[in-house]
Amino acid sequence: MKRGIFHFCVFVFTVLFLAFSAHAQDIPIGFFAPITGPAAADGASAKNAVELGLKEVNDAGGIKGKKVNLIIYDDRLNPQEAVAIANKLIEKDKVVGVASGSYSGPTRVTAPIFQKAGIPMVAGYAVHPDVTWDPKEKKPNDFCFRNGFLGEIEGAGAAEFAVKNLKAKKISIISMDNDFGRAISAGFAERSEKLGASILTKQMYKFPGEKDFRPYLTRIKDGNPDLIFAAGYYNEAASMVRQAKELGITSQIMGEEGFDSPKFLEIAGSAAEGVIIATNLDRDDPRPLVQNFLKNYKKAYNEDADMVGASSYDAFMILVNAISKAGTDPKAIQKALLETKDYNGLTGKISRFVQGEVVKPVQIQVVKDGKFRRLGVVDNPEVITPPTKQ
Amino acid sequence: MPLSSSPSKKDDPLTSNASSKRMLWQQLANGIAIGSVYALISLGLTMVYGILRILHVAHAGIYALGAYVGLFSFKVIGNFWLSLMVGMAGAAIAGYFVERFLYTPLLHLPRIAPLIVSIGLFTALEEAFRIVAGPHTLAYNARVGLGDLSIGSFHLTETQILILFVTFAILIFLWVFLTKTRTGLAMRACAQDPETTSSFGVNVSAIIAVNFLIGSAMAGAAGVLIGVYDNQVWPTMGSIPAYKALAIVVLGGLGNIPGTVLASIVVGLAETFFIGVLAIPFPRDAVAFVGMILVLMFKPYGLLGKA
Repeated sequence: MKRGIFHFCVFVFTVLFLAFSAHAQDIPIGFFAPITGPAAADGASAKNAVELGLKEVNDAGGIKGKKVNLIIYDDRLNPQEAVAIANKLIEKDKVVGVASGSYSGPTRVTAPIFQKAGIPMVAGYAVHPDVTWDPKEKKPNDFCFRNGFLGEIEGAGAAEFAVKNLKAKKISIISMDNDFGRAISAGFAERSEKLGASILTKQMYKFPGEKDFRPYLTRIKDGNPDLIFAAGYYNEAASMVRQAKELGITSQIMGEEGFDSPKFLEIAGSAAEGVIIATNLDRDDPRPLVQNFLKNYKKAYNEDADMVGASSYDAFMILVNAISKAGTDPKAIQKALLETKDYNGLTGKISRFVQGEVVKPVQIQVVKDGKFRRLGVVDNPEVITPPTKQ
Repeated sequence: MPLSSSPSKKDDPLTSNASSKRMLWQQLANGIAIGSVYALISLGLTMVYGILRILHVAHAGIYALGAYVGLFSFKVIGNFWLSLMVGMAGAAIAGYFVERFLYTPLLHLPRIAPLIVSIGLFTALEEAFRIVAGPHTLAYNARVGLGDLSIGSFHLTETQILILFVTFAILIFLWVFLTKTRTGLAMRACAQDPETTSSFGVNVSAIIAVNFLIGSAMAGAAGVLIGVYDNQVWPTMGSIPAYKALAIVVLGGLGNIPGTVLASIVVGLAETFFIGVLAIPFPRDAVAFVGMILVLMFKPYGLLGKA
């Protein structure tokens, strides 16, 4: 019996030793997303897409022969949780870099922690300015990078297309009342007014909570605008476009990346037809990178990929790309990220990062036959270049 | 650049053209429709308070349950009207179980005990919906078979007609039941004095059960109607009604049925007009509470209450 225990212990320790030594060869990369909680649907998209990327990298032999070990945490859309995760990733998991597949709330609180520890982080789609900027010190978080657009940039891109291509002159704006809604509609309003359009009404609704948009839409209908710019996430967006149709509103509805989900198409049904959105994923991009991703995602998870997934995939791959250039020293990875030039991303070609903010074209998509299709691209540098802050 | 809710005066469509009259009518329809749903939810709450003096927070969970049961039965049956019936029945049965197995055993305790149980049950129900049906919002894509209706500049959408029709039918039923039947009479007597009522040979426990069945069925109907009206059913759909209905019930005078109906319609209209006509940047869900505070200050027995 005693011998049995001894053998068992030897066995366990051998296994543990092998596991740890194998582990030591891996490259640890951290990842967090709201896998459960109110944003669980987005969390699942982000995680699925990044795991797809991980498989691609490791199946191709990893980075310079070393496998990538992805350490995944669930932040439950809770900033406190995210702080604990950031510390754990740094202290316990000793990651060389981090990809965020989460919203602004959890991502922005981790930014100063990674900045202080000197661990590079790439955010997939979090939009808050403080992810890349330290508001206290008034300087950029130079270890933090963003693959998604700033709200203002995406809003301005949407306005550029609305006024120049769709010839909208009278516009109504309705947005959810949060950081993203405010930032993107401010960017939209500023650019569209600069291009000569007039804003008839600006309304804000409570998020989360509002589902009955009829009072807002009835007011919009009264002004008979050429275009309605609606900033919101897919559930509310789906309610809104349906209710607009019910009320007999014929104005063009334009949304943003928050609409960019198969759930929007499913809930809105036929009311989604013709809705235009500004986003960063172009489904009709002919590059094999994009088409293979869309195909593989569908195959692996039996649902269509969305903006959140694609952006998180990009965040992870941008990091992997930097590691394959610079090795596993976090400082060297950061330098490689700062020097990113014409990177071939899933969500568009990234020409460079300006203070951690991505410079790439804004994609304009339209819903046609129940699918998001390409309608146009906004690449005017005046619009898509983020302003340099001091 | 902050967003303001009111545009500059010269662009304001309200001050200029005649179409704003049509808008007012449309807003009236919007307000009455949402107010009717509030009425269906709040009535059960006020009835339960009237007879047991319990704040039945889990009522909003029953409302969401009605929506889920209705939606799943709709997916199986494919007929909206049947799914409405099934949703109401599901909610009624759930309400009955809550009364029998949670509230009745606790009636000898201070009323804080059933209140805590009720809050706990509400949270548990939300989690149960999430675990069983998933965190995603589900679409309630029902074809009701009614058309839109336009009378002059007054336009009702199909789902608004549905809500008005169902609410009206239920209110008529409730009125007839409470005023013309012996059970209804016994129920009103129970609400005033259960002990004396019981001494007249009325089975009070059965009356309480009927009260819960009817109140919960109305909440279930509200859940199905909102599911179709917003085309969405989701796990936390009860969280706003949970507290808004409490405010409405106070506004209507706790336990007062006509007062609750009036308060619901007033809140629905006030919300709609604050947002859609006055364009005051005032949070929608605060309207009921501001109303409640005003009523408590100036008319503590509710809109229709007598001291």
